[in-house]
Amino acid sequence: MAGWDLTGSSSSASGAEKAEALTVSQAAEMAAGALNTIPRITVLGEVTGFRGPNARSGHCYFQIKDESSALDCIVWRGVYDKRLFDLRDGLQVLFTGTFDLYKPTGKMSFKASSFTLAGEGLLRQQVAQLAEKLRLEGLMEPERKRHIPAFCMRVAVVTSLSGSVINDVKRTLRRRNPLVELVCVGSKVQGQGAPAELIEGLRRAASVVPAPDCILLVRGGGSFEDLMTFNDEALARAVAASPIPVVTGIGHEPDNSICDMVSDRRCSTPTAAAESVAPEFSELVAALDQREQRLQNVMVSQVGNAASDTDAASERIRRAMRTYLDRLQLVVDNASTRPCLTDPTNIIDRRRIELSQTLDRFVAACDRVQERYAADLDRLAPRLLSSTSSFAARRHALDLASSGLRGAAAQLLTEPQSTLARDAAALDALSPLKVLARGYSIAYDGDNRVVTQVSSFTPGDELRVRMADGDVFGTVTSVSTHA
Amino acid sequence: MADYKNVDELTYKEATTELELIIRALESGDMELETSLEKYARGVELLKSLRTRLADAEQKVSVLLKDVDGTDRLVEGTPADDSDTLNL
Repeated sequence: MAGWDLTGSSSSASGAEKAEALTVSQAAEMAAGALNTIPRITVLGEVTGFRGPNARSGHCYFQIKDESSALDCIVWRGVYDKRLFDLRDGLQVLFTGTFDLYKPTGKMSFKASSFTLAGEGLLRQQVAQLAEKLRLEGLMEPERKRHIPAFCMRVAVVTSLSGSVINDVKRTLRRRNPLVELVCVGSKVQGQGAPAELIEGLRRAASVVPAPDCILLVRGGGSFEDLMTFNDEALARAVAASPIPVVTGIGHEPDNSICDMVSDRRCSTPTAAAESVAPEFSELVAALDQREQRLQNVMVSQVGNAASDTDAASERIRRAMRTYLDRLQLVVDNASTRPCLTDPTNIIDRRRIELSQTLDRFVAACDRVQERYAADLDRLAPRLLSSTSSFAARRHALDLASSGLRGAAAQLLTEPQSTLARDAAALDALSPLKVLARGYSIAYDGDNRVVTQVSSFTPGDELRVRMADGDVFGTVTSVSTHA
Repeated sequence: MADYKNVDELTYKEATTELELIIRALESGDMELETSLEKYARGVELLKSLRTRLADAEQKVSVLLKDVDGTDRLVEGTPADDSDTLNL
């Protein structure tokens, strides 16, 4: 550099510059020192140019920016491994750390020792955590979701009554199916107190009489923060607990709130939600046309069947009658050829002949019997006569025996009669009564015992004395014994 | 005639359901002809009523308002306007 004066400035100045000049390393050292004096700070920035951890070192190199500035940022591997979320472009993140100058390149970087989500990012993370919590509680299970009738006749709409959304819902259903009756329940849909109002709105909508078939919980599109109302835990729980099925249509297609996740049906927009609760009018017309056709068909075929049944029945009855009559005819024909009808006298004649034959046999039989008895009688008469010839001799012998028997009997009685008379006389002589007749008597005591000794009596005893012709009764007055 | 509810007192859905049941009963084919005819007449009546309703359908909108005493009250609201463009 010596001797060159390319700028035309004085050499003294050049000398001074020379004296004050620092090496790059010195300058870099100085800058680094200055940077080190900045204390640990926290910077809010949007991640950009993030390509993930370095494949070899595992450190992350990217930039953070705002509207007008950008900073190189380094997250060492050890810090990144402890992260709660993955960094990616567009995230608003709070980085805490210090500045550092990399001397070989002179590049200044912000070395983050920790980082957390900020703003919407933080909100999204909180929403994701709440969603996970409710999912674990089972509030998002498909089997929890209630059936929503294909055709809801009465629909409650919970939304802001001042926005365009309520008109969209009305117009959608008016065009699609004006039979659907709408009950509008107004509520704030964003800002302070909106969740509480919406919860109250759901409750009021569910208690409308008659009860609606479903509740539309809808809100038009908005920023993430605007839609945060529908990520409110209490509101989400109210949606899940609603006694009437809830259909959500919140924001636009990609928006997905926690209310959407726990509702019974999630639609991407309010209009889609309105369309989902009732069939298109033309479908109703088509269904009605189809039913009319079926009704006609079934009736035509029913009447046709009935007519052919009747025809068949009439044919059968005609045939059955014909057959029956034919059979009767046959019976009559058969009967008419029987001899009893063709020649009735024939029977009588035959009977008469039989009768006369029987009579002839009877007469002949009688004659034969008579003749046989007459012959028997003629043979018996002489035998009877000859059998009586011995009767006279037997009668004489009988007479003789009879007189002999009479004499023998008289003789047999004479001897016993005389013996009996003798014994009777002796017995009479011995009778006590005879003794009494001679003047003796018998004494009896009061007990009718015969008394033979005077000692049997004492004065005062009863006394009976039997005599020949009767009894004497008395009382003993005294007793004396013969000496 | 069996005891049928007045067609005009049925909701659209009730009427449709009854019509479908009548058609199914007729299609099952095990019905007396008299009953069939009676059901058919009822079906035609329902069809007519349903067609009329479709033709005359007008949107009914009510608004649930809080009364001064805090109780809810249904007030007739304005149906959607006739313009067919949607402000999405």
